[in-house]
Amino acid sequence: MTMLRVRDLTVRFGGIVALDRVSLDLNRGEILGLIGPNGAGKTTLFNCISGVVRPDTGSIYFDNHSLTYAPVHERARLGVARTFQNLQLWGSMTVEENLIVPMDALGRRNTFSDALYLPFSGYAERASRARARAILHVLDLDPYARTLAGDLPAGIQRRVELARALAMRPRLVLLDEPAAGLDAQETAHLAEVLHAVRQRFHVSMLLVDHDMSLVMRVCDYVYVLDFGKMLAKGEPSAIRNDPKVIAAYLGEESKKLPGDIQTIAAAKKDERPLLEVSKVAAGYGGLEVIRDINLTVRPGEVVACIGANGAGKTTTLRAISGMIHPRAGRVMFAGKDVTGSTAERISKLGLIHIPEGRGLFPNLSVEDTLRLVSNTAGREVDISPAFKLFSRLRERRHQLVGTLSGGEQQMVALARAILSQPRLVMIDEMSQGLAPTVVRQLFEIIRVFRDEGIAVLLVEQFVESALDVADRAYVFEHGTIGLSGPAVELRSDRKLVAGSYLGSAVDAAAIASGNGNGHHADPALMEIVSVRVPAKVKRALEQRAETENRPAGAVVVELLEKVDDQ
Amino acid sequence: MAAFAAYTIIGLSLGGIFSLAALGIVLIYRTTGVLNFAHGAMGMFSTFIAWQVFYGWSHPFWPGWLSTFLAVLAGLIFAAGMGLFLEFAVFRWVRSREPVVKAVITIGVLLALQSAASLIWKNNQYHLPIYLAPQQWVWVVPVADVPIGANSIAIIVVALALAFGLGAFLRYTSFGRAMRAVSDSPTSASLWGVPVGKVGAVSWMLGSLVAALAAILITPFINFDTTSLTLLIIDALAAALIGGLVSLPLTVLGGFILGLLETYPTIWIQSIGFPRLVALVVILAVLIVRNPRGFSVAAK
Amino acid sequence: MTSRLMFRVLGALVAFALLARIPVGFDVGFKFDAALAVIWAFGLLSLVLLTGYVGQISLCQATFAGVGAYTAGMMVSSVHVDYLVAVIAGVVVAFALGVIVGLPALRLRGITLAIVTLGIALVFDRYIFQDHAFEWFTGGTGGWRVGQATMFGLRMDSSTHLMAAYLVLLALFCLVALLLVNLHESGAGRRFRAIRDSELAAATMGVNLTRYKLLAFGMSAAIAGMGGSFYPLVAGSVSPQPFWLFTSLQFAAIAVLMGVRYVPAAALGGAFMAFVPDVLTRYGHGTFMGHAYEISYDWFQIAVGVLLIVQLIALPDGVWGDLRSRVRHARSAAGAVGGRRVKVA
Repeated sequence: MTMLRVRDLTVRFGGIVALDRVSLDLNRGEILGLIGPNGAGKTTLFNCISGVVRPDTGSIYFDNHSLTYAPVHERARLGVARTFQNLQLWGSMTVEENLIVPMDALGRRNTFSDALYLPFSGYAERASRARARAILHVLDLDPYARTLAGDLPAGIQRRVELARALAMRPRLVLLDEPAAGLDAQETAHLAEVLHAVRQRFHVSMLLVDHDMSLVMRVCDYVYVLDFGKMLAKGEPSAIRNDPKVIAAYLGEESKKLPGDIQTIAAAKKDERPLLEVSKVAAGYGGLEVIRDINLTVRPGEVVACIGANGAGKTTTLRAISGMIHPRAGRVMFAGKDVTGSTAERISKLGLIHIPEGRGLFPNLSVEDTLRLVSNTAGREVDISPAFKLFSRLRERRHQLVGTLSGGEQQMVALARAILSQPRLVMIDEMSQGLAPTVVRQLFEIIRVFRDEGIAVLLVEQFVESALDVADRAYVFEHGTIGLSGPAVELRSDRKLVAGSYLGSAVDAAAIASGNGNGHHADPALMEIVSVRVPAKVKRALEQRAETENRPAGAVVVELLEKVDDQ
Repeated sequence: MAAFAAYTIIGLSLGGIFSLAALGIVLIYRTTGVLNFAHGAMGMFSTFIAWQVFYGWSHPFWPGWLSTFLAVLAGLIFAAGMGLFLEFAVFRWVRSREPVVKAVITIGVLLALQSAASLIWKNNQYHLPIYLAPQQWVWVVPVADVPIGANSIAIIVVALALAFGLGAFLRYTSFGRAMRAVSDSPTSASLWGVPVGKVGAVSWMLGSLVAALAAILITPFINFDTTSLTLLIIDALAAALIGGLVSLPLTVLGGFILGLLETYPTIWIQSIGFPRLVALVVILAVLIVRNPRGFSVAAK
Repeated sequence: MTSRLMFRVLGALVAFALLARIPVGFDVGFKFDAALAVIWAFGLLSLVLLTGYVGQISLCQATFAGVGAYTAGMMVSSVHVDYLVAVIAGVVVAFALGVIVGLPALRLRGITLAIVTLGIALVFDRYIFQDHAFEWFTGGTGGWRVGQATMFGLRMDSSTHLMAAYLVLLALFCLVALLLVNLHESGAGRRFRAIRDSELAAATMGVNLTRYKLLAFGMSAAIAGMGGSFYPLVAGSVSPQPFWLFTSLQFAAIAVLMGVRYVPAAALGGAFMAFVPDVLTRYGHGTFMGHAYEISYDWFQIAVGVLLIVQLIALPDGVWGDLRSRVRHARSAAGAVGGRRVKVA
C-alpha cells in the first residue's frame, strides 16, 4: 500500500541541519501535500527524493527499491517524475519534442540508427509523437505542440512541465510549487487539472506549494515541515485548524492590546508620501509575478506587507529598490521618479533595502561591514552607535559576518540601516529562520526606526508581530494587493488574514471531492502491523475499516487499547 | 643535495611567478565574474612594451638601472591602460551575460593580443630577457653551496610582497573594503550603493598590472617569446584553482607548490612539455577533490 | 518525413556537386587550401555537435584532429596500409581519446571544463607532439614526411592527389554533415539538446548523462579526427604546428563566430580559416600611398579575435545564425505582404 517510504532522513549543509530525521509515507493513488514556512526544508526533502541532493542518513524506498543512492536517471526508470519550480523546460525545443525526450530516453533507441534514419527509428518516432499529442490533448495544450517551449508564457510552461513528467509514464509525480506565479483563477484551474491527471494517468503525486488554497483543494493528506522537522500531519481540514501550524505560519498570537500605536498612525495622515508606487508590474523572464501594485509610504510611517509566499511581496520590494526593472507603472521616491533606475543610485537617495537572506557579505568582518557605510555615505561615519544599540555586535566586531548566527546577521543589517540615516528602510522577511525570542528583539528595533523618524516598509511572514509594530498594512494575494488598511483593523480580523495564508476561502465542497481516495492510516503504525500481523488478520482489519468508513490505523489503535484495558 | 637545493630555488622562483599571475586572475574573477584566459597574453604584451623600451629605445649612455626602471614603468603603465580599456570597451557591455560567454570573449582577446605581438615582435624567436637586477649579482648560500641569482630573490620577494600588499590593500583601505564587498556579492553591493562598475574597472587595472609584473619577472627563466608567456595561463589557472578562484593566500601557496612540483621532475626528465602535464594533473586533482559544484554554482 | 530526408540528401548531393568543381583550374596552392578548408571544416563540425548540440565546451578539438593525423600518418608510413584504413584507424583512436577527455566532463561544466580541455590541448601540444620524449613516434617539432600513399589501390602521386584527396574529403564531409542534420531532429539528437538546455531536467527525465556525454565527446573527437587523418595525405607530412593550442582556440573562436549551432556554418568557417590567410598573404602586400605594406597571417588571427569579441557583444547567434534569422524575417515579411495582396484580390 505504501508506495514511497521515507525514513529518518537527515541532511546537513555545513553546520545547518536542513532536515532532521524526517519520515513520510505516500500511498498509491494519493495526492500528498508538503507544506511549511520558508526555509523549513521542503525543497531539500523534495530534492532528496528526486536525487538532486544526497541525504546524510536515512532511507528512501519506492516500491521496494531503495532510492537513497540511486542515480537520477535510474529513478526516472523506476517511475518517479518531477517538475521544477524554476521551469526547467528545454527552451529551444518544441513542446512536442519536450514530451518525446523522456519517452525515448526510457525506451531503447540507437543513436546511429537515428542518424541514418532507419525504418525502425521512424516507426518509434511516429509512435512517440502520437502519444505526445494524446497527453497534450488531455492537458489542453494541443495548440502549443509546435511552439518552442521557451517562448511560452510561464503559466503554460508549468502545464507543459506537468505534461513532460507524465510523458515518462510515471507512477509518482513530484510537483515543485506548480502554482508559483499563477493567479487565483489559474490556481483553481490547476487544481482541476491535477484531479483530471490522477483520474486519467493513475499517478500518485507529492505536492510542495506555498499556495495553501491549492494544497487544501487537491491533497488527500498533508505533512507540515518546520525548521527541518515534521511539525504535523493530517487531513487538510485538520491541518488548517491546527494551532501549531497556524503559529508556524503566522507567529504566536500576541496578548498585547493596541492602544498607543493608533494615535501615532493618526498623526501621520496628511503628509506627502515619501514612496509612491503606482500600477507597477514586474517579473522574471517570461514570468510576470506582480501586476497593478499601488502602494504608498509616508515619512516616518511603518508599513507592513503581508500575504502568502509567492504572492509577490519580495518582487515588489525588488522593483522599488532597482534590483529588477518594473515592466509597467511608476515608482516615486522622495519626489523623484526612480522607475528603472539602478540599485546603486536609488540607495544613494536614502532608500535601504535589506533583502531576503539579509544581503550581507559573508567574508567581511562585522566592523568592516559597518565601515562600508562610510564608503557609500560619502562621509566618515562613526560606527559606535551601532554597538551601543546591539551590544552583542561589539563582542563580535572582528568576526566574519558569515560565521554569525542568523539573528546576529540581521542585527548587522539593521545596524547598517541605522548608521546610514536613510529616509526609508525596506526589510524583507526579517524573522526568517529565526527563533521567536530573537524575532521579538528585532521587532523592538523597528520601534527605534520609528522614533528616529525613519519610515519602514516591512515584508513579514509573522503577521502578528508585523501588525503589532505597523501603522498600516497591505495584504498581497496572487501578485496583487488584495486588502489594505490600518494595522489595528487587520489585527482584529485575524480570520481574514489567516484566510489569505491558509486558504480558508476555498469552499468545503472542493475539499470533499478531492478526498475521495483518502483512507489514511498512521503510517508508522501500519508498518508495524504489516510486519507483525498475519495476512488474515490484516485483511479483517481492512474490511472492518472499510465498513466503518474510518482509517485502518484507527481500528488498530482501538483494538490495541482494548487489549491494554483487559 | 646541492642540486636539490638549486632546483628548490628555481621552483620557488617559478612558483612566485605562478602566484603573481594567478593573483591577477583571482582578483578579476572575483570582482567581475570574468575568468580571464587572456591573462598570460595581457602580461606578455605589456612585457614586450617593456622589452621594447629596454632594448629598443633606451639610450646607450643611460645607466642600466634607469633603462630598467623606465622599461618596467612603461610596461606597467601600458598594462594599467590595457586593463581599463578592456573593461570599458568590452566587458562593461557583457556584464549580465553568462560566465562562459565572458570567458570565450577573453579567448578572442587572447588571439588578438597574441597575434598583434607576434606581428610586431615576431613569433618563435628568442628575445633577450629583461633583468631587474644585474645578472652577475649572485649570492651563494654558505652551507649548501648553492648560488642564488638576485633575479630569483627579486621574484620571490615581489610575489610575496605583492600578495601581502594586495591583501593589505583589500583589508585595510576603504576601496579595498568595497572590492571585497563586490567580490562577496555584487547584488548586495549594488544595494548598499557600492560603485560596482568602478570596482570592476580598478580590478581589471590591478589584475593587468600584476599580470605584467609576473611576465616581466619571468623572462630570465624561460624561453622568452610571445607564445611561452601567453601559455603561462595554464599554470596560473592551476594555481588559481588551488585557491578555489577565491582565496588569495591559498592561491599564492598553490603557486609555490605548483612551481616546486613542476621543477623537481626536471632533475630526472629533460623536457619542456612535462611541466604542462604536471599542471594538468594538478588542475584535475583540484577539481575532483574540491566538489566542483561549489564554484560552478558560484560561477552561475 | 521521408520527403524531408530526400530533400536533405538532395541538398547534400547538390552541395557536393557545386563544391567539387570549385578548385578545378586553380593552382596547387589553392587546391591545397581547398582540401585544408574541408579538414578545418571537420574540426568546426565537431564543435557543432559538441557545443552546438550538447552544450559542452572544448578547447582541445585540434588535439583530436592531430591525434587522427599522427595515427593515420603512422599507419601509412610504417605499415603501408591503404589510406582509407589509415583514416579509419585515425578516427577510432580519436574516438577513444574523446571518450577519455569526456570523463572530466561528467563532473565539470562551463568554465571549469574549458580550463581542463585547455590543459589537455596544451599537454598534447607541448608534451606529446613536440617533446623529444615522444620523438620516436611524433618526430619531435619537425614531424616527419609521409611517403607514397595509395587509396582504393591507386597511387596518390603529387600531381593528382590533392584533387583526389579534396574530393574524398568533401564527399565524407557532406555525408557526416547530413548525418548530423538528421541527428539533430532524431531521438538521440533531442536527448543531446535536452542536456544542453537543462542537464538537471534531462537527468530527471531519464537521460543517462554519463552515456550521452561520453558519446558526444567520442563522436565529436571522431569527426575532428576524421578531418585530421587526411592531413598527412594533403600536406605530405605530419608536424605539430597545425594542431597546436592556438588552432584549438581558433576552432572555438571561429565556430562561435560563424554560429556554433549550424552545420553549414562549419563549412563556411572552414573556408574562412583556410582561404582568408592565404589570400591575405598572397595578395596583401604592395604599396599604398607610397608606403610598402605586407599583411601577414597574424592579421588574420587578430581579425578573428576582434570579430569574435564584436560578434559576442552584438550577434550572439553567430554570423550564420544571424543571416538565417534575417532571411527568415525577410521571407515572413514578404509572405505577410503577399498574403494581404491575395486578400485584396
